[in-house]
Amino acid sequence: MAERGVGDRPEYLTPVPAPETVPDAGLLLASVARGDEKAFGRLYDLVAPRVYGLVRRVLRDPAQAEEVAQEVLVEVWRTAARWDPDRGSATAWIFMIAHRRAVDRVRAEQAAGDRVARVGAASVDTPYDEVADEVAVRLERQQVRHCLEVLTEVQREAVTLAFYQGHSYPQVSELLRVPLPTVKSRMRDGLIRLRDCLTPEVAA
Amino acid sequence: MSAPNEKSDVHSLIGAYVLDALDDIDRASFDRHLRECESCRLEADELFEVTARLADGAWSVPPPRLRDNVLAEIGKTRQLPPAIPPRAQPRSRRGLRLVAAAAAVVAAVGAGSAVYQIQDQRVRDAQSRLEAAQASEARVRSILGAPDVQTRSEQLKSGGRVTVSSSRLQNAGVIMLAADDAPAAGRVYQMWTIQAGAPASAGALREGQSAAVQVVEGLPAMSNVGITIERAPESATPTAPLDALVNLA
Repeated sequence: MAERGVGDRPEYLTPVPAPETVPDAGLLLASVARGDEKAFGRLYDLVAPRVYGLVRRVLRDPAQAEEVAQEVLVEVWRTAARWDPDRGSATAWIFMIAHRRAVDRVRAEQAAGDRVARVGAASVDTPYDEVADEVAVRLERQQVRHCLEVLTEVQREAVTLAFYQGHSYPQVSELLRVPLPTVKSRMRDGLIRLRDCLTPEVAA
Repeated sequence: MSAPNEKSDVHSLIGAYVLDALDDIDRASFDRHLRECESCRLEADELFEVTARLADGAWSVPPPRLRDNVLAEIGKTRQLPPAIPPRAQPRSRRGLRLVAAAAAVVAAVGAGSAVYQIQDQRVRDAQSRLEAAQASEARVRSILGAPDVQTRSEQLKSGGRVTVSSSRLQNAGVIMLAADDAPAAGRVYQMWTIQAGAPASAGALREGQSAAVQVVEGLPAMSNVGITIERAPESATPTAPLDALVNLA
């Protein structure tokens, strides 16, 4: 006995416009795993600035950072099929590879004893770096920075010395003059607190 | 399975693990811990999402040529197949001991480029991490840490590097093989020690395996270490031309 309300309805429902904005790293990486070079190009555009930025932040020397970033991105191509979406996001997987590579390079250099020699080259910056700093995703940075401020000083130092400077936890312990077990637990507590601070955005 | 207190002790390293602040040996033992503990794996995965956000904060425009270089490189880079759940491997023959975690120890003897090769390999090759868990780390450490250790390195003709460290005081040596790729299907890398012109097998890798660390007792008495590519699983005598020859004399 329904009234004929049908008349008010448009003949066709307007489809929700496809979100043409930011491509999804997970979908791209899944295509890359099947050998899709086009998808890799798009994934590159999406993550390369962060891969390069992270590696550069750890290594400091732009030339070396470029070399390691290249290795990382080729590695993403090579091992894309090994990414397990059940275990984490595509970006977390990519940055994990990037960070580990950068740190491995730091450690290998420390072992070879030529870290000092490299630092001299670090001051040679190229113009686009300055532009990059201007354009950098400010919101994201603000969010991360805000959450880092929520940590205690030792938590923050322990996390950032390890993550951004590639120090091992015994080195961090030495730098902060804090016992090893304390450093271990501050790293863990710090990350957990960061997680709690950042989580709403992760879900969004 | 670890005792509860040992487990929690290892587990306290989770923050340092996620931040890559562990040395190779601690990292290998933490990887083993994660394989045994589902909830720990979940926690680690969650914390990796946090470090991904830290990485977001380090944004910087790469040099424009990087894109071309990377795209050119992937054009000639073969992709790995998906990981197949590991089957139980029979324990190795003849005490073959494969130690990826030795990388950090090699660093101590200053074989810089070789170290990087091995670390590189380790990152690529989850299987070698698995092997690292079963490693006889202490023996490798004692050899590589010996005051008289001598390290020699040769390129593999097939691509990659073999590094041999040997100590008379320990009367033993370590062969570290880091090939760029595993040999074709049905073929394996095999390691040989040569004494008075007579080769003896020092163990073969498995099919699909490209990196290994092998302890060889009595190595200082040998004159050479050779690497060949043989038919799987291994050959009684070297049948293929040498892929690399390291002169110990």
